[in-house]
Amino acid sequence: MKSKISIDLHKLSRFVNLFLPILAIIFFLAGLKLSFYYHFLTVSFLFATALNVFYLYLQNGHALLRNFGLLAQGRYMLESVGPELRQYLYASDTEEKPFNRLERAEVYRKSQNIDSASSFGSLHTFDATELKIRHSLFPTPTSELTPYSLTFGEERGIENTHTIRKPYIISAMSYGALGKNAVRALARGAKLADITMNTGEGGYPKYHLMEGCDLIFQLGTAKFGVRNKDGTLNEEKLKEIADKPTIKMIEIKLSQGAKPGKGGLLPKEKISDEIAELRGVSKEHDVVSPAFHSECKDYTSLTQFIKRVQNIANIPVGIKLCIGDLAQFENMIQEFKKQDIFPDWITIDGSEGGTGAAPRAFIDRVGMPLLPALKGANDALNEAGVRNRLKLLASGKLIGPGRQMLAFCLGADAICSARGFMLSLGCIQAIQCGSNACPVGITTHDPKLEHGLDISIKAARVRNYVNNLKHDIDELVAATGCQSINDLSFKHLYVPADSSISPHVPNN
Amino acid sequence: MTKAAKTTSWVFQIIAVIIMGQTLAFKFSGHPTTLAIFEEINMPYGHIIIGVLELAACILLLMPQSIVYGATLGAGLMTGAIIGHITELGWEGERGQLGLLAIATLVSCNIVLFIRRKDIPLIKGILSESNLPKD
Repeated sequence: MKSKISIDLHKLSRFVNLFLPILAIIFFLAGLKLSFYYHFLTVSFLFATALNVFYLYLQNGHALLRNFGLLAQGRYMLESVGPELRQYLYASDTEEKPFNRLERAEVYRKSQNIDSASSFGSLHTFDATELKIRHSLFPTPTSELTPYSLTFGEERGIENTHTIRKPYIISAMSYGALGKNAVRALARGAKLADITMNTGEGGYPKYHLMEGCDLIFQLGTAKFGVRNKDGTLNEEKLKEIADKPTIKMIEIKLSQGAKPGKGGLLPKEKISDEIAELRGVSKEHDVVSPAFHSECKDYTSLTQFIKRVQNIANIPVGIKLCIGDLAQFENMIQEFKKQDIFPDWITIDGSEGGTGAAPRAFIDRVGMPLLPALKGANDALNEAGVRNRLKLLASGKLIGPGRQMLAFCLGADAICSARGFMLSLGCIQAIQCGSNACPVGITTHDPKLEHGLDISIKAARVRNYVNNLKHDIDELVAATGCQSINDLSFKHLYVPADSSISPHVPNN
Repeated sequence: MTKAAKTTSWVFQIIAVIIMGQTLAFKFSGHPTTLAIFEEINMPYGHIIIGVLELAACILLLMPQSIVYGATLGAGLMTGAIIGHITELGWEGERGQLGLLAIATLVSCNIVLFIRRKDIPLIKGILSESNLPKD
């Protein structure tokens, strides 16, 4: 119902359109009779009138401006500052996506070594519909926990196994998606925290290699850095990279949670001369990777390709995928079993995963979410009796210890996170990753914006984040009464009946 | 923007800066002719105020990030000057010369604005090819 004092914006805009030229004339007369200074206003209103004529009669792309003129710009102006206003003032602490302020604040506090104890009570909607961790009546004293250790490649009995001592891996982010300062800060932080970092699929990992941390080389579908001209695998180049002392493992990327069924995407705004050279691509177009490896056309050839890479590189070789259909995952495991060829690990990426750039529908609507996918994968491996032939890693919004515990209980041996580490570098979730305009200098190649990111200070934050996560996970494991992460299982979760991972709900 | 358009823009920027710049010495030193003009249109301290604004326009016109702002300010000042000539100062003798220089500067600033229209706030967003009327 309209109130009597409501403003009719249609009438107001017609009034403004009429009065802009009239005011120009009035001020002109005032300038003539009263003081020449009035002509400052004459000129201003003349210009506003000219702009208004352009909006109303000389353009037809924006209906609002064509119908209402200058006043309609107010809508575009207010709308343009909407995201900032909502984030600064109006969005509640538990409201924002993908990470709300509470979740981000926990990472910021951990990375700055500030105590993250909270007061008064949970800010979540608290009822019986959420997954919870079951603690034990008899917790383990933290001094009696078994130290964490995970050795990749031990199942195959290869010489160059790789052991991690903290259950964290910095997930795949290329130089290209990230700027060089961000890559180096993460790499230096990984070195300080003694964790392993994934190079991402963006070609020869020049900046990742600079800081001497342990690295996983990611082999993307476009095979940047190790490709022949026709896009197939260049074995010599792969061998050369695998032989570098800090390249500890190789991950074959089959698909990515944020855009499964579609290849990587680097917008042309972010392609510098150097990136074009490192990847061997043109600067003029977006770089779109193929959706699949040309070598992998079915289960048999996929398994053979894994074997081929394992033979070239004498180091652990794993695969990363987002599950679309668990039946396909089971078929893949059966093929591994039949050929007796297993990747040294499988990373399950949830469809909630992050990306620098992907079509909205892929980000929102394609792929299985992490928790049911991870549970399904773990169950499939157990049913096939091959869970002990490989390691299982999980990724997808695993930035805080609570959700990481869920992943451990569902079968993950270690956690991969990308955005968690970006937040530890000072990411403010401005969501400008694809536009080269990242205000904190992480996902940009603009030297003026990268200037803000101090490598040594941010590297220390990465280390603090890892150490404080480890501390929290240790306390949580102790609370469940277990000795180590390996002992965690599905029975340590309180699972409501309507949850997507409830045993009563079919997984597919 | 093509290289030719860029060069053309810079030529007209320099023209506008030279015309506005050479009058600044007269304005700031309080040259009797300048003072007489501003007295005639009843603008006390006008020579200083307009001088400062013209100086700002010159500086903005020469800095790559702010060229369109300088051109807009320059065009506004020159429009004011032309209003002055039409209403009070007239076009006799030296006045006519000054008026023509103001017109030349206004035209230069407008050419710069047209070439760089895709940098102008409030306009750049609607100037992509698909948004303009087609015959």
